[in-house]
Amino acid sequence: MKIACILAGVLWLAAPLASHAEPTERQLKLLQNNCLQCHVREHLGAPVMGRLEDWSTRNRKGEEALLRNVVQGLRGMPPLGYCAACDEADLRVLVRLVAGLPERK
Amino acid sequence: MMDTSRRHFLGMAAAGTAAALLPGCAPHGTEPQTPVAYEAGKPLPWINWAGTQHCIPKTRLGPASEAELAEALRTARGTVRAVGSSHSFSGLVPTDDTLIATDLLSGLVSHDTATLQAELWAGTRLHDVGPLLASIGQALPNMPDMDYPALGGAIATSVHATGPRYGSLSSHVTGLTLATPGGELIECSATRHPEIFSAARTSLGALGIVTRIRLQNEASFQLTEVNRIERTEDVLAELDERMTRHRHFEFLPLTNSDLCVTVATDPAKADDKDAGQDDPQAINDLRKLFDAVSWMPGARAVYDRLLKIALGDAASTVRTGPSHQVFPHVRVVRFREMEYMVPAEAGPACLREILQTIRERNIPVCFPLEYRQVAGDDIWLSMFQGRPSACIAVHQFGDVDYKRYFAEIEPIFWKHAGRPHWGKLHTLDAARLSALYPKHWQDFQEIRRTLDPQGRMLNAHLKTMFGV
Repeated sequence: MKIACILAGVLWLAAPLASHAEPTERQLKLLQNNCLQCHVREHLGAPVMGRLEDWSTRNRKGEEALLRNVVQGLRGMPPLGYCAACDEADLRVLVRLVAGLPERK
Repeated sequence: MMDTSRRHFLGMAAAGTAAALLPGCAPHGTEPQTPVAYEAGKPLPWINWAGTQHCIPKTRLGPASEAELAEALRTARGTVRAVGSSHSFSGLVPTDDTLIATDLLSGLVSHDTATLQAELWAGTRLHDVGPLLASIGQALPNMPDMDYPALGGAIATSVHATGPRYGSLSSHVTGLTLATPGGELIECSATRHPEIFSAARTSLGALGIVTRIRLQNEASFQLTEVNRIERTEDVLAELDERMTRHRHFEFLPLTNSDLCVTVATDPAKADDKDAGQDDPQAINDLRKLFDAVSWMPGARAVYDRLLKIALGDAASTVRTGPSHQVFPHVRVVRFREMEYMVPAEAGPACLREILQTIRERNIPVCFPLEYRQVAGDDIWLSMFQGRPSACIAVHQFGDVDYKRYFAEIEPIFWKHAGRPHWGKLHTLDAARLSALYPKHWQDFQEIRRTLDPQGRMLNAHLKTMFGV
């Protein structure tokens, strides 16, 4: 099941990036070091990357609400998602990647 | 910590009681979970995991190379602090000037199969250290019970696990590279710049920023962890024997109860199998139960009785697998923690006094304590310097005021010559701390003044602790 979750996350990342977000190599490393430790693992309570049903309700709140939760932390979600190196632009890209949100035009 | 059937019972008991007795569920003087609010377009705040520390740095840097980090240190303005995963509870990180994150300095640098040593970038998260080392046939001899911290932060604060034959993570360091506040890179070990090495293995980030860390590892190994519910006094009665018998042993006394959770970890046998399920949410069920009965006269006795019914004959939980998967546990419930290291022989008396104080003063807390044991070392500011230690931790939920509770307990640690964990909450200043480190406190301060004569690495918390 763990492999299935990781695979879903990888496929999620491999989907046409233009419709989601275009991360830099640096941002992908930040994703790997921080976000993936929780968002590709089941049974933690964290929404799993690539599992649409985990995100549909959350994503309806919009990117700003998701970003606020990331920065401030929410329940098990640590403030800034553990990413102290992230600036706001980094966090926006990572939020879009993890949540599968389309890039804002 | 508990298997699902135990959790189910606790949940049912809590829900049933709470439904009838909702007034008992009132929170005990809550404080905001978030110390500072995010506002779009405003500078991004930094907040630690527990929400006990925050700052809004004017400059936030994430260097992608050692040279970039050294240059950033050399040219940084104002007070400079380093940050890894932001897991420290204490005020080691906050600065309103320059914050340097080590996130991008991560991964394996090199390794030696003959000596079983490996060098890693200091920003590598512990949850990545295990798989990285496994890929080269190595493993950390011991690991904390959670793997979120960055290696550099873990070393800076002497992060530890349990087992009287094992020292803290800092004690497994055989060499490191330090970027000084002046931007110089210094490689040090027991034979190269040995005094800087003795100071930098537990530096609180006061000497500059450690960029690489060489670790003495073991060949990869498998472990089996067994969790049981037992009586705290039964465990204390044979504590030395259990610490000797198991490769690793710790226990978590349940406050306002006679029970505890024991965690014994040993080399795995071929037929070991997982049983039960590690449940990171179980602590919330303890809380529901505690809150549900807390209004009652004699609530502590009711709570203890319910716990015994729920947990008394519960089966063990077993986890087996590669060491880096068995040592750490998932943490999804945020809390605040104070931990002191007392001389190992003082541990049982200190623990009993804490449990008794909680009962006698009617302190409303259900978050378990934690009792571990760690070998002594020779690192100047290590909490384990010169003495094998019992490590006793108290915790409170992240949305509940912890200060009154911790204030009741902290003097008990002082009475037993406790040294506070550098990364956790405490109230000691330079006068009290220097007395706890009579052998090397001044040695450390001299090295610090040599490397950072202008005190650029000192924030308010460090100034208080160092008396600057």
